[in-house]
Amino acid sequence: MMTFLAAVAEQPGESKSLFETFGVHWAFLVAQVINFFLVILVLKKFAFGPIQAILEQRRERIVAGEEKLKRIEKQLAESEATTAAAIAKANEDAQRLIKEAKEGAASYTEQKSQEAIAQAQQILVKAEAAANADRERISAELKREFGRLVSDTTAQVTGKVLTLDDQARINEEAISKVGN
Amino acid sequence: MTRFLGSTLTIWLLCLASAFGAEGGHHALPLDAQKFHDWLPVTNSMIMVWIAVGLIVLFCRMATGKMSLVPVGLQNFAEWAVESLYGFLENLMGAHLTKRTFWFFGSIFFFILVSNYLGLIPGVGTVLYNGTPILRGGNADINMTAAMAFTFALLWIYWAISENGLKGFLAHIFAPKGVKGFLFWALMPLFLFVGVLEVISIAIRPVALSFRLFGNIYGGEQTLEKLMDLVPDYLAFLPSLPFYFMELLVGFVQALVFTLLCAIFLKLICDHGDEHDEHH
Repeated sequence: MMTFLAAVAEQPGESKSLFETFGVHWAFLVAQVINFFLVILVLKKFAFGPIQAILEQRRERIVAGEEKLKRIEKQLAESEATTAAAIAKANEDAQRLIKEAKEGAASYTEQKSQEAIAQAQQILVKAEAAANADRERISAELKREFGRLVSDTTAQVTGKVLTLDDQARINEEAISKVGN
Repeated sequence: MTRFLGSTLTIWLLCLASAFGAEGGHHALPLDAQKFHDWLPVTNSMIMVWIAVGLIVLFCRMATGKMSLVPVGLQNFAEWAVESLYGFLENLMGAHLTKRTFWFFGSIFFFILVSNYLGLIPGVGTVLYNGTPILRGGNADINMTAAMAFTFALLWIYWAISENGLKGFLAHIFAPKGVKGFLFWALMPLFLFVGVLEVISIAIRPVALSFRLFGNIYGGEQTLEKLMDLVPDYLAFLPSLPFYFMELLVGFVQALVFTLLCAIFLKLICDHGDEHDEHH
């Protein structure tokens, strides 16, 4: 600044106006204003415009990314909650099914046991009936055989031919004595 | 360490080239920018301004030609520079004003910076044609600094009125602030007088801005030249060496000061408007 003041002081023609001393000319001033506007135009078009646009684009991208991240985190939390609920429900259903299966199995076992018992009883009844029938049949056969033997023996002892009525009467008598 | 050595070597070379670039011994850089011919209304400082514009265009085309979301190389540097200045102004003026006026403040800062550094290139102000320096630092011409300052003054009025309204703009300058009722009217004459002083202050601002920048840059160039006069020609590069470092700093600081002062002037007049916006 001191150099500047010294230079001003050194300038010849101190009687000149301030404008003349410093070389202020309207034409040059206007020309420099035009130059300055040229600078502004160039910088605005080629520098600030594109750079601010890309900065804005980047900022929007970051904001969008942040929002997306929040959305994803929310969705993840919801998904985890849904999964946990589904697992809990599945566990509950499984427990219920197991319980139902156990109850069903017990009921089925009981039913089958009852059926088996009933079948066993039926078998016993049938077996008993069959045994009775066999016994009746064998008894009848034995009586018949015994009657025949008695008739044959009687015929051989007495030496006479027995009639059918005799045979029937002898058989009945013999059987009535044996059967009792 | 390599960077330090590199920058030091560059400055040495600048000094050497500058010393050898000076034609026919030494001369004082005239206060005013000169025309080459009477019929050609082009001054040596205008040529430097055009070179500055050309370099800025070239840099911008290289940096922003193929923009990508993941910045590399020059785009990275350009984004860093623009974003840093934007953030700096945003802290100072607020988001609304910065968004509205960054095209101007950004242009002012980068143009002054480029122009100041171009003025340090060897041969600028020292290589003569018919006794006239062929090139002269853009901001070593009062017409250039005044062009920027008065452009700002006009834009300042436009922005101030559009932000506050005409009534608010005048009230901001003349009306008593923070008082109501009787006190308001009692203090009115005093504040009208203060308002007149404020108007004078506002009118002086572009002049002060012009001369501050012009004085610092012109003074810097004169200093470098005068220091070369102190020693024999073959050592002329030596005394100016430390001052090249200083001029690099001055070039940046003056760009910042001009931009900062303009931003503060605008913030002061629009302060009421911003508060109004925030209340809503």
